[in-house]
Amino acid sequence: MKEPPIDRVLFTAEQVEARIRQVAAEISAEYENRELKLIGVLKGSVFFLTALARELTAPVKLDFLAVSSFANQRGGMPGVVRIAKDLDESIEGEHVMLVEDIIDTGFTTRYLMQHLATREPKSLSICTLLDRTPRRIVQVPIDHRCFEIPDRFVVGCGLDYKQLYRNLKYIAALNVEAS
Amino acid sequence: MAFIRISGEPGSRHEELARMTAQRLDCHLATEVGICDTIANEFSGLHGIPDRAWPHLAASILAKIGVERHVVVSTVGAERLFRDYPATLSIHVTAPESRKLSNLMVTRGLSDEQARTLLFELESEAASMRRRRFGSAGKRGQSYDVMLNEAALNVEQMLDVVEFTIRSKGLLEAGLVSEDDEKRFLFESRLKLARFGIVPPDRVNVARKEFGHPSEEVFANLLDFYRIAWDYEPRSFPLQWDKDGKVLEAFTPDFYLSEFDLYIELTTMKQANVTRKNRKIRLLKAIYPHVNIQVFYQKDVQDLVAKYGLPERLAR
Repeated sequence: MKEPPIDRVLFTAEQVEARIRQVAAEISAEYENRELKLIGVLKGSVFFLTALARELTAPVKLDFLAVSSFANQRGGMPGVVRIAKDLDESIEGEHVMLVEDIIDTGFTTRYLMQHLATREPKSLSICTLLDRTPRRIVQVPIDHRCFEIPDRFVVGCGLDYKQLYRNLKYIAALNVEAS
Repeated sequence: MAFIRISGEPGSRHEELARMTAQRLDCHLATEVGICDTIANEFSGLHGIPDRAWPHLAASILAKIGVERHVVVSTVGAERLFRDYPATLSIHVTAPESRKLSNLMVTRGLSDEQARTLLFELESEAASMRRRRFGSAGKRGQSYDVMLNEAALNVEQMLDVVEFTIRSKGLLEAGLVSEDDEKRFLFESRLKLARFGIVPPDRVNVARKEFGHPSEEVFANLLDFYRIAWDYEPRSFPLQWDKDGKVLEAFTPDFYLSEFDLYIELTTMKQANVTRKNRKIRLLKAIYPHVNIQVFYQKDVQDLVAKYGLPERLAR
């Protein structure tokens, strides 16, 4: 693979793994013996969601959804965010956790929470690998976060730049100008 | 002119539906806040404007806007405005209490208990406002042409129903308000407002503001995309005054997001040139500590470019 133009590694693979184990232990304790449905947001959360799910001791179900991208909007009628791929199964009456790779502006998370809330789950919470608070515009209630990060563009562990670098085992700040 | 009146129960997503309808059909969106701001600007504040005069004043302002554009009206009691006008549609959004509570919990980050308290307050305030403005707090089913239930339809589906109804009734083809109609309508408003000693404004400035930089327009599109209500440069904050109280220096943030009570300033110039702006923002925070403002610098905009796939020229 082409060497990623990174400024520096923010979290090594070992740090990421250790932190995911910690957060998974917190969630397992919280949902002890209760079934939890993890909902991943395609594509970025896939790597984090699978790593997290493997460490959970609470019984876990998985589902995925995807939202339309602003980048894919074309001329004509102004676009609004839409569910591009909806859940495969109902979440009514279930304990649901939205699993995100990163929350920064909060735009997408807010929309997804609104969407999921209409499905009447028993509870709805948020777990994110990365929380970039300096960029927050929409306040969303985050229940579990692995790392807070500075105001940098990051790649790895599911996060991409032009669809590349998702499979890096570490999280790194990207040199956008050099990429 | 078509008047699309969208009202709803407190806690329902009728405001979002109104915003999306205006966006999809390229109509002017007249919100409660927007109408009150316009009235306040015309009359140097809302003091001295009796509540019972509000419907007539709002109608006279909306009629002027309707000369230029179709209008989506989203206010408490919107169904009571323009009831006798032919090209109009009244839509009401209802929702089960559990849905309203979850809407408030998600959008405002509240606990169940906090959401219940807020819902009660919102319902009381809406009833009180109806009573003050229209003389009764009640709502009658026959006042609405279309009633939509969030238990059955999500916002996208409600939007499809609204658009289909508007198009099937040919409301957008009804034409804008003619000058004669406007004059007749304003004469009637003037008569009603005379009871309160109020003279309605001759002109209402509703021209759409031009964006100062392409990045602002794209940011606005981004907010629209995520269904977030925004106003462009709605308010200037005086920062320095001379000894006579004349404003010497002011700062006007680019955007105001009313749902979050947050101002956004985009700065796409080189970092070395933002010192003056930073000084203004520091002053703003010192003089108006209650004002929430978030600044996006060039690097932030670059990251938005990368994250959302915005046109790359905006980063420069």
